[in-house]
Amino acid sequence: MEFIKPGTYIDFMRYRGPVIAVLGLMATLSLASLFYPGPNYGIDFAGGTEVQLAFNDETVPAEVREALEDAGYSRPDVISVEGKPNEYIIRVREVSSLPEEQIASIRSSTMAALGEGVVQEMKVSPGGDKITIRVSGAVHEQQLQEALEAGGAHVRSINSLAGSRDPRYEAHLVGVADELAGQLRERFGDRAPDEALRVEWVGPKAGEQLRDAAIQSLLYAIAFIMLYVAFRFDLRFAPGGVIAMLHDALITLGIYVLLQKEVNLTTVAALLTIMGYSINDTIVVFDRIRENMVRVRDKSLRELINVSTSQMLSRTIVTSLTTLLSVSAFFFLGTGVIRDIAFALGVGILIGTLSSIFIAAPITELMDRRLFSRSQG
Amino acid sequence: MDRGWYFRLAIVIGSSVLGFLALWPSLDRWFPCPDIVKETFDNQINPGLDIKGGLRLMYEVEVDEYIRDRRDRLAEQVQRQCGVLIGIVPEEEVDEIDKATLEEIRERCKVERVDKDDGAIRAIRITFSNEEDAKKLSKTWVKDYFRDLRVASGVGDLVVDLHMREEQLTNMRETAVRQSERTITNRIDNLGVLEPTIIARPNDGDIIIEIPGAQETSFERIKSIISRTAQLQFKIVDDESDSRAIFTTPPDGIYLNADSQTYAEAFGEDARDRLRAYIATLPVPDDHEVAIGRQDPDPERGGEGWRTYYMYRVADVTGEDLDDAAVGFDPQSGSPEVDFTMNTRGASRMADLTGRSLGKRMAIVLDDRVESAPVIQGQIGARGRITLGAYLDRNELLQEAKDLVVVLQAGALPAPLRPANEQLIGPTLGQDSVQKGGAAAFVGVVLVLVFMAVYYQVAGLVADAMVLLNLQLLLGIMSGIGATLTLPGVAAIALTVGMAVDANVLITERIREELRLGKSPRSAVEQGYARAYSSVFDSQLTTAIAGIVLWQFGTGPIKGFATMLLIGIGTSLFTGTFCSKVLFDWLVRGVRVQRLRVG
Repeated sequence: MEFIKPGTYIDFMRYRGPVIAVLGLMATLSLASLFYPGPNYGIDFAGGTEVQLAFNDETVPAEVREALEDAGYSRPDVISVEGKPNEYIIRVREVSSLPEEQIASIRSSTMAALGEGVVQEMKVSPGGDKITIRVSGAVHEQQLQEALEAGGAHVRSINSLAGSRDPRYEAHLVGVADELAGQLRERFGDRAPDEALRVEWVGPKAGEQLRDAAIQSLLYAIAFIMLYVAFRFDLRFAPGGVIAMLHDALITLGIYVLLQKEVNLTTVAALLTIMGYSINDTIVVFDRIRENMVRVRDKSLRELINVSTSQMLSRTIVTSLTTLLSVSAFFFLGTGVIRDIAFALGVGILIGTLSSIFIAAPITELMDRRLFSRSQG
Repeated sequence: MDRGWYFRLAIVIGSSVLGFLALWPSLDRWFPCPDIVKETFDNQINPGLDIKGGLRLMYEVEVDEYIRDRRDRLAEQVQRQCGVLIGIVPEEEVDEIDKATLEEIRERCKVERVDKDDGAIRAIRITFSNEEDAKKLSKTWVKDYFRDLRVASGVGDLVVDLHMREEQLTNMRETAVRQSERTITNRIDNLGVLEPTIIARPNDGDIIIEIPGAQETSFERIKSIISRTAQLQFKIVDDESDSRAIFTTPPDGIYLNADSQTYAEAFGEDARDRLRAYIATLPVPDDHEVAIGRQDPDPERGGEGWRTYYMYRVADVTGEDLDDAAVGFDPQSGSPEVDFTMNTRGASRMADLTGRSLGKRMAIVLDDRVESAPVIQGQIGARGRITLGAYLDRNELLQEAKDLVVVLQAGALPAPLRPANEQLIGPTLGQDSVQKGGAAAFVGVVLVLVFMAVYYQVAGLVADAMVLLNLQLLLGIMSGIGATLTLPGVAAIALTVGMAVDANVLITERIREELRLGKSPRSAVEQGYARAYSSVFDSQLTTAIAGIVLWQFGTGPIKGFATMLLIGIGTSLFTGTFCSKVLFDWLVRGVRVQRLRVG
């Protein structure tokens, strides 16, 4: 079987203008989408609320998950606690963050009520579920609660850690967890938990350390890839491969953002995979161009790119097809995260294949015209 | 077939068998694995948090210890700066005050650390012995030299209290938690592809760590590696001062060293705790401390032994200046130890310290234990070693040395961790999601296999065999290193399979081209491989370079991704070029097919 007849010659470079225009527009839109509407960060990046609760009667994780999804939570983590039947840790992205003005008003009313110099530190958790107060000397819990409520906080309970090694008061506020408990009560009736055993704001899994490491390693990777390509091929080839690679990642991310799909750590893994695929695909095309440059001396680089790309077209199609086949299995059969990854990978493979031909190769030609005067033909 | 071919075939079969053996322990549930294999390959594929769940740990960072430590360092600086204030030392020599001068300063203005009753550790107290000196201290002096301190009371009086600034305390709490998170992440990364979840919560001063898997034994090891502070310090043992005055008559069961009475020792199971309780009652001067280390066991007096070391409190060199650590072996006894190298700063400090302490003993203190205290024979530079003593059996010592290397390389925790909560948790994904993911992986691979066979016929079947071999090797290596497999990881493997056929596609397309030129199957295969090698290698190597960089600089999930990527590149290169050639050679040279059906 052959998709492409041997000896086929397609003048790819003739169409590069319109294709670059379309891809360029997509890349620009993708870049813009990062600012508006902006990525829809999932719990890995944004953090969320973690609630631990115990149901009063037999439940399985699947029905709890379904109940929460029906109540409008996107992809809640429902984790059973081993050894404690019907007890779950539930993680949702929603937080009950307090507006700045309200925090300010709580702060000033607390300061005023407790007196100057008593409150040494007051912090509202980013999840808006807890206010931590450090004071000098002892304060009545009742007094503290009234002071906070005067500022507009809905205090559920006050926890005094005055005797501990790090003395402080913690005021737990009414928020997401209470809403969630209410929704569960509606669905499960008597089986629903009486109240949350523990409510906590959880920070992002992917914090600053990961972000710094990611950016740093990406920059180094780009530098080393360019060095390697410049060494193995020549300088003209180096920028094309890297630009095509970034272009593919950018457009995939852009489509993700425009569809407002949740961006999580797995999305990052998918983007890295796409970059790997992209550079891999580009180098294969480059390799044929390099080979033809040595063998065919009387043709312009533009023609050589056409010949090489045409010769490689069959392979390009087969490889994209096999990868798309395995990815589509995940898209059609998988659920949730898996489906999202499959979608990202599918988009990335398509864009990556196009960019090797229409981005990487033309940039190489451009570099060639800038650096050498070989391709005058 | 020539001998070279049989040799290559042996490599292919050998690696396949090895791959299977490494994978076998992971298949134990479906396909019982003999003990001998389990003992050789003692790792297996670890199902991820999303598939199987694991252990959820919560640690409180002992932030107050961190603050205390900072406060102690500040107190030290205040003491020195006071020397400048009262005019004993010139400003520029503040960092090089010798012991005698320091005593002189202390007599006129004594700096103490004060722990308040309400638990707040932030105070430093300066006590002047005459009013003239006391007058010299002003709020601006404090502000100029110590931005983190403010005067709480007593400017101009004989007793001045300095407190750490509140906003500084807030920063310190945050820093302590962030640094702990960083260190824990590095330590777990050093252990391999574990794919844990680590969440730091600076507001509450705690860190949540979720470790996938279900093996009790590995949990214990990971827990000890996480929570170990790994504070390495080098201190000079004080054998000269009259420590007899310090070691008051000990209670029963604790003995003063018979000849010199310069240290106390105890034997038996609770010896360490008893010694510790005894030390707490001793009148130790502010600039000294008493620490505990191992002592030769004495069966007559109760078995394992511990002894005290009386030493200077200040650590001139610490683990902060450590550059690298590795497991080494004592040249004489062959027993495992940890060799380390210091960075430039550490090396010069070490040379300094050892140079001026010749003949004295240097205690190597790890956390609260003196590991050894060798006599300083000559100046020591960048290299050193930590002997672990000969009190454990060799395997335990080796494990201990390996774990110590893991924690030393990742650096010390800024403050001790206190376990707050521990729970075994179920998977984050539902059973149905996992099953569907598994089914999708299976269907995806089958689709690729069918497509290749239809499109490339015989060459497609060769590629299919390589895909299966590749999968087996990949899973075998994952199992061998105990890598964690998450559901997205399953998707990545299926995609790797899709991408790995690229090598086969490139080669087969080349063979097709050669056949079209009318070449014999045999020379078409030779030429096809020869020509395709460069594109296969260049494309895979470029990706591998990216993988190496991500592995080197990435942390957590990025490092995990890079590991899998590199393994995948390795196995696809091996199967796609080397192994497939063996099969093709057999077809064109052994079977001598007249027509090679490549579709």
